[in-house]
Amino acid sequence: MNTALLIAPLAISGLSAALAALISLTDKIVNNYGECIISVNGGKKELTVQGGSSMLATLAEQQIFIPSACGGRGSCGECKVKCTTDVGPHVPTEMPWMTPSDLKNNVHLSCQFKVKGDVGIEIPEYLFYVKRYKATVERITDLTHDIKEVYFKLPDGVSTNYKAGQYAQIEVPPYGKIKEPTQRAYSLSSTPNDPNHVEFMIRLVPGGIVTTYVHEHLKEGQKLDVIVPFGEFHVRDTSATMVCVAGGSGMAPFKSIFTTMVEDGSIDKRDVWYFFGARSVRDLFYVEWLSELDEKHERFHFIPALSEPEESDNWQGETGLITEVLDKYLVSDNLKDAEKEGYLCGSPGMLDACMAVMRKHDMEDERIYFDKFA
Amino acid sequence: MKMSPEFIRAQRNMQPGEITADGFLGDDSRSLIDIIAADEAAMSDLDLAFDDCASQLEDLMEAGRRGLGEPVTIDATWRVKTDEARGVLPSPFEDGVFRKVNATIELVGDASATLRITALSLHLMKRYHFLQGLGAAFRIEPRMLKRVLKR
Repeated sequence: MNTALLIAPLAISGLSAALAALISLTDKIVNNYGECIISVNGGKKELTVQGGSSMLATLAEQQIFIPSACGGRGSCGECKVKCTTDVGPHVPTEMPWMTPSDLKNNVHLSCQFKVKGDVGIEIPEYLFYVKRYKATVERITDLTHDIKEVYFKLPDGVSTNYKAGQYAQIEVPPYGKIKEPTQRAYSLSSTPNDPNHVEFMIRLVPGGIVTTYVHEHLKEGQKLDVIVPFGEFHVRDTSATMVCVAGGSGMAPFKSIFTTMVEDGSIDKRDVWYFFGARSVRDLFYVEWLSELDEKHERFHFIPALSEPEESDNWQGETGLITEVLDKYLVSDNLKDAEKEGYLCGSPGMLDACMAVMRKHDMEDERIYFDKFA
Repeated sequence: MKMSPEFIRAQRNMQPGEITADGFLGDDSRSLIDIIAADEAAMSDLDLAFDDCASQLEDLMEAGRRGLGEPVTIDATWRVKTDEARGVLPSPFEDGVFRKVNATIELVGDASATLRITALSLHLMKRYHFLQGLGAAFRIEPRMLKRVLKR
């Protein structure tokens, strides 16, 4: 009887092991796609890769980082690539993200299809230059009650190359109930002329996985993965008057842009109007620096506006919603007849409202720029 | 009650850390289908229709967005403050993505009558009759809903 008791579990274990080995073997045979060639942008890059992984992960292994705020879970819709060869039909998890134009042009989420053979894709050229770094938090500064500025140092000897206005992705590790690393996109507030550092302004979003980590757990000296640079928000090389509007942490790309314009002298070569909206004085920051730019540079104009100043603020500047203030200035003698470009950074609601005001004053959509990830 | 694979997957996606830091279930240990069934009964007892209430909340949130983050008073009855962040959140039912916009709606003159809603929570309410678990940050309590919407 004792022997029977021993044999039964042993037999079951043996069978289970055999079954697991068979599954593993089958997986290797069935899902072995061997070497595949990914042709990027009509052959500008030819990558020889091992098939079987998602396109997103395969490209990342080749140091090509497609924007992905969710890290490849199919929940952010940012990792779109245009396929120039057949990669199969769209899967249900892709469909919420696909526009009619995407479907027509064979655009797929790169995290949702596997590399199973030779394949051609098209991606924006600037993605060839995106890199992933293990960056060290050098300084964390409270800008307001809900915005922190985080200044990272890249590894020694490394320097990154980006345009003022672009954004990066920060990845935070699992913490508390969060079981997986999580990535989110943030505008860079640093200057490209400080290539060994990158800086961000991060506003606490209630329930936000990454912003909660940054505000409640991140410490100076800690290392995080930073993937940089992304985006096509940057100053266009024209002589048009720049009408810039931001609120809250939307200040970030403008800090980068104005610092760079001071460094290269372009701040004295074209007119810049910067409208910054906040609720009360406690939500304002960098006012001294921007006011100083306004005083020093004749063509730079800083217009802070408070929508609900407190009595104790003793506020002497513009009041009202930033859209109301913008509306007022766009009919002023300074701006009315000027050739203008719009530069926006803030919440989607603010972007929509500012776009409406700009359109009302005949500014063209094609000349109004903002972060694509907004 | 037995749950479909779609609901099992949705309940998994509702756990803390999957889509949002705190998840959608609060400290409620019931299954998704039981939460929905209980809230459908509560709404029916209060003579509230999910679609009608969701539409009214959507209108209030949309009106509140015009304040660009500042409180807006609507029909001298509701004070609505919206807050938006960049990016989108996927539905736990994997049927779409929604802007990160939330609104706090309170009755003018009665700050204790307050609801917190999001673009996603209204979708879950309308399509699945899911008002979120007890203790969840964006739980829509039927009695509070009746009070705030003055129905």
